[in-house]
Amino acid sequence: MAPVKPSVRPFSACFRCVRGDALFNGAPRRFLSSSAAAREELQTTSSTPPPPPPPASTPGDVAKDAAAPKEIPEYMKQWGELDPNAVELKRDERRLIRREGIQPIGSRRRRAIIARDSAAKAEQISFDQLPYQCFQEARKVLLADREEKLKDIKTQIMRIENLKAQDSTVSGGEAKKATRLRSMQNHLNDLIVLADVNDPLVKKKFEDGEGDMNKPIYRYLADQKWRKWKRLVLEQRIEQFNLVPDLLPALDPIADVDLAFGRKNIPIGDFVDSAISENPPRLNVQTFERGQKLVTVVVVDADVPLPEKDKLTYRCHFIASNIPIAPDQTSIALSRIQQQSRKAEKVEEQQVALEWSPPWAHKGAPYHRLAIFVLEQQDAKALNISEIKTEKRNGFILRSFVDRMKLKPIGVTLFRTKWDESMEGVMMKNGLEKEVNVEFKRKKIEPLPYKRRTERMR
Amino acid sequence: MLLPRIFAPVRAATNSPRIPSSRVLDVLRHANGSAAHVPAPTLSFVRHATHQAQGRANGAKDGPGKRLGAKKAGGEYVIPGNIIFRQRGTAWFPGENCKFGRDHCVFATESGYVRYYKDPSLHPKRQYIGVALEKEDKLPYPQNAARRRRLGFVAVQKESQPKETEAQTAVADLQVGDATGSETSITATARIPSTLMVGKGYAYRHANYDIGRVAERANVQVKEFVPGDRWAAWRKSQARKNRNEEAKKLRNAGKKSAKPKARKRRGP
Repeated sequence: MAPVKPSVRPFSACFRCVRGDALFNGAPRRFLSSSAAAREELQTTSSTPPPPPPPASTPGDVAKDAAAPKEIPEYMKQWGELDPNAVELKRDERRLIRREGIQPIGSRRRRAIIARDSAAKAEQISFDQLPYQCFQEARKVLLADREEKLKDIKTQIMRIENLKAQDSTVSGGEAKKATRLRSMQNHLNDLIVLADVNDPLVKKKFEDGEGDMNKPIYRYLADQKWRKWKRLVLEQRIEQFNLVPDLLPALDPIADVDLAFGRKNIPIGDFVDSAISENPPRLNVQTFERGQKLVTVVVVDADVPLPEKDKLTYRCHFIASNIPIAPDQTSIALSRIQQQSRKAEKVEEQQVALEWSPPWAHKGAPYHRLAIFVLEQQDAKALNISEIKTEKRNGFILRSFVDRMKLKPIGVTLFRTKWDESMEGVMMKNGLEKEVNVEFKRKKIEPLPYKRRTERMR
Repeated sequence: MLLPRIFAPVRAATNSPRIPSSRVLDVLRHANGSAAHVPAPTLSFVRHATHQAQGRANGAKDGPGKRLGAKKAGGEYVIPGNIIFRQRGTAWFPGENCKFGRDHCVFATESGYVRYYKDPSLHPKRQYIGVALEKEDKLPYPQNAARRRRLGFVAVQKESQPKETEAQTAVADLQVGDATGSETSITATARIPSTLMVGKGYAYRHANYDIGRVAERANVQVKEFVPGDRWAAWRKSQARKNRNEEAKKLRNAGKKSAKPKARKRRGP
């Protein structure tokens, strides 16, 4: 049984549950990433030594980096060598992040396999050559199913071609033909996903974050993953923070939006310190649909007090239009867009219509909800920036803006602001000196005058 | 009028071919209920009570009234906290700007005008009590329209100066050691007022992270904790045990005379 032995371990490692792994060790929550792949390349070129520290940009950083290894205490040295490609235990992952400041690479399942293989000095057996009869039989079934699906895809494509060639009068009118074509196309898309959905290699790649988001199967898997947890949370926040009746009449998010100020990721609805939110945030918009889209990003404050009317109103903090996004092109750095727009001479080249104005709140006032909407532009047509520039900031009504510009909301995220220590400074810097000295206090409610029962009845 | 009914049995008898004509009278007698001639065994049942009808058996039915029902009519002006409806169970549900009390009473959370209404989009059967903010408003508000809200706050000019002095005096009492007035102490006094927060029971207290920094401000030097240093841990635990031993001895010092006697008693 000697030849079987080395591969027993990797196979048993396949069954290990690694869900939630990324959340615990503080790694960015992502479906797919390019960073892991880049790191792997590094690893493959130089397998034994640990990866070099991230490149330092300034000489100050270099000095810090040089000083950092000296400060490693004795007990940390006792942990031994930790390979980011092969750490397997949670404890070791923690230690790696603490001592070296490096995130572990890939999934824990993958790292476990690498660690065990290197420990056993086993030669790498590829997936399809593992010597398990049942496993191989199961793979045969899956492969047969895939062949069937591929055949279906071919026939479906042929049917679509035939229908396209057919005269519309024969197929019962132009509209009916269009609906039929659409439903056939949908079926084809389903088949394409079904052909690959059971493939163990696809699953592995997706889990390791190496999937290509230009392929429908990885988009499908990422969408499923998003809908299982993150979207549920988002839906709950939309409802609890009343974004839906307050800002838009209805909202069905189809893109995953992550918000970060600098390097700090903000969970949906979190309070953000005013000093941090002084600069525009960075969005990560993951769409699960094919092709490029042009989007408009709008940031609205939904709780601007109007004390003289005893009401609340809205304020627009930012509008940028004509931003291209695609499944593999997810980053929207608002600060970079803003800088580019400032440099651009022509209005057509600009993307920012209303520049970022830092969110602020009066002392004592209730918290402000700042909702960030990602709105898809109709037919990926560019909007006229000079037209959007005329939008007023105060009393900005998002519904009417969306209707006028023919936009479709695809994603949303939210943060909150209230008075904090740094708010005064932020307000002073942004020309709100008058507002700094205004404080909000609860209105006293006059009790009803006492009336006898008989009086009340009258 | 009655004739046809009276003769019906006769007709039946004559029509039926089985009964011979000589027995017509018998048949008639039988049909007209002449069974009275033969006394049937009559059983007269008396149904006795199995349950006490009077007295305390059924509990008091007519207790004092609980004064339930509407306390405010539709359209009446209410302020936050006013009870609008008292009930047992949930005949009415709280709608716009209203809440349930602990006994399912419905009370207002905003000042406005009471409305009794149904909202099929929310629930097909429930009836709601709400408070409309404006007198002419109707409830329910349109389903997807922005919520109508009231700010409920007034803008006041801040008075900044006196607060700072208060805070500084409070801090002067709390200052630990370090009376030299060094730079650190100045920064500390500038920072502490902002960390005062309302604790349990409405008393002001320092934030926990601020309490944690008292030693740092007082420049207390602590030996660095080294995880895995068993020798230091053993010494520490020994010291603690010794200390406890000492304390025990001190505690028992006064009781020395009493204890032996008690033991003797238990012996036999």
